[in-house]
Amino acid sequence: MRLPILICDDSNMARKQMARSLPLGWDVEITLATNGQEGLDAIKAGKGDIVFLDLNMPVMDGYEVLEAIQKQDLPALVIVVSGDIQPQAYERVKQLGALDFINKPTSKEKITDILHKYGIVNPEQLAAIKNPPAQYIGNDELATLKSTVDDSNNVDITPYRDSYQEVANVAMGRAANLLARMIGTFIHLPIPNVNMLETSELHMALSSIEDNESMSAVCQGFIGAGVSGEALLLFRDSAFTNMAQLMGFKGELDDHGQLEVLMDVANILIGAYLKAISEQLDMNLAQGQPVVLGQHLSISELITRNTSRWQRTLAIEINYQIESFDIKCDLLILITEDSLTTLNNKVGYLFDEEA
Amino acid sequence: MSDDINEFHWMAEMIQTIDVGLVVLDKEYNIKSWNTFMEAHSSMRPDQVQGKNVFDLFPNIDKNWLTGKIDTVFTLNNRAFVTWEQRPFVFPFNNYRPITGIMEHMYQNVTIIPLTSLTGQVTHVSLIVYDVTDTVAYRQQILEAQQA
Repeated sequence: MRLPILICDDSNMARKQMARSLPLGWDVEITLATNGQEGLDAIKAGKGDIVFLDLNMPVMDGYEVLEAIQKQDLPALVIVVSGDIQPQAYERVKQLGALDFINKPTSKEKITDILHKYGIVNPEQLAAIKNPPAQYIGNDELATLKSTVDDSNNVDITPYRDSYQEVANVAMGRAANLLARMIGTFIHLPIPNVNMLETSELHMALSSIEDNESMSAVCQGFIGAGVSGEALLLFRDSAFTNMAQLMGFKGELDDHGQLEVLMDVANILIGAYLKAISEQLDMNLAQGQPVVLGQHLSISELITRNTSRWQRTLAIEINYQIESFDIKCDLLILITEDSLTTLNNKVGYLFDEEA
Repeated sequence: MSDDINEFHWMAEMIQTIDVGLVVLDKEYNIKSWNTFMEAHSSMRPDQVQGKNVFDLFPNIDKNWLTGKIDTVFTLNNRAFVTWEQRPFVFPFNNYRPITGIMEHMYQNVTIIPLTSLTGQVTHVSLIVYDVTDTVAYRQQILEAQQA
């Protein structure tokens, strides 16, 4: 009988990549689930002897799935596959009974190593089986996506949304890991929003910074290999006291002190995020000097003055939250429309390697 | 010995990372060196510009104007400075902050320095390109505030 395998991840691209990373010749029956609830149902239906489980998902997240498996004593071996590489995340899932943890992005080598390590498959067995692996990946789907990119006048990210989402997820996990290490506490990872924003929508977002006096923002330009954009970190002033405390900031928390805290957080989150993106897409990004918005520059003026220049921007929005402290900060990665042709090619290539 | 090599390596890495454009030209204005800043903002890799004439790659640069500056550096072995007030920019790059930046282009100050060979001859020059867009933006805002 074929071994029932469950891949549970909200990202279509991640599910495909995972399915593709399974060892060749492994005799399995793969079931795909798009959130924790679906995944749990599949496990109960006997379709998940081995489960590859993402942590950040809508409806029911990976932690909740692990809890349910533990409580109901369901027969599933769970390997967590996540972009959240914080040590605390690792400890949590281990405590909840997960077998092991694989960092995204997955690869054939990583998966095979883990499966060997726990004796789930053995190499000789695999070599003996000549069957091609279970094919779940519609390569034709990828082929049709490719043909739609050439329209450079109005570049669309829609065919690549899943790829962008996955790149954004992995980068978020890495950035959060650095911040978590610096402040020694667990950071709750949300699902990043990847969207094309019209000018007016971004104006609304920026205006809310200005309306809301208790908001501080840092922005920093980045550019490289035909891709340019800006990272924006928005920080609620109410979070400063807690954040300063977590970071062991000693001085007085006046305007100057707040700026120190803001810049330290910005350096980590923006730097790590851009680095993770550039590593995944194999490109070098130069970073300009960061600028504090609102202090030296009035935001409303900024909005009115550069309205005409661009129409749309690709925006990745991440709302970091730190558990048990009242800290929320938003990281916004804005990428210019003329970078999209290059970017589409890069993410297309990234997830298309074995197609 | 290994300290020397390390230092050389650090220097190279700093020059690649520094947020300032560095270009080396020979007497025929062919590009001999092109750092990461130039690569990032022009989207042209070093191997794509190596040995190419800078005026062929950037036809919009006023050749007479810039060669005049460069030639004096060659003959006088003396630095030349170009400020954004003379020309907003030498290399046509976009604003480093394309979304929240007020200006469309990157305003530039450029310093041209002589580079001497081992025999003491000035065989090459280096163009050092500074992004001064923010300075220009603040200046404009002050002017507008005074007029208002």
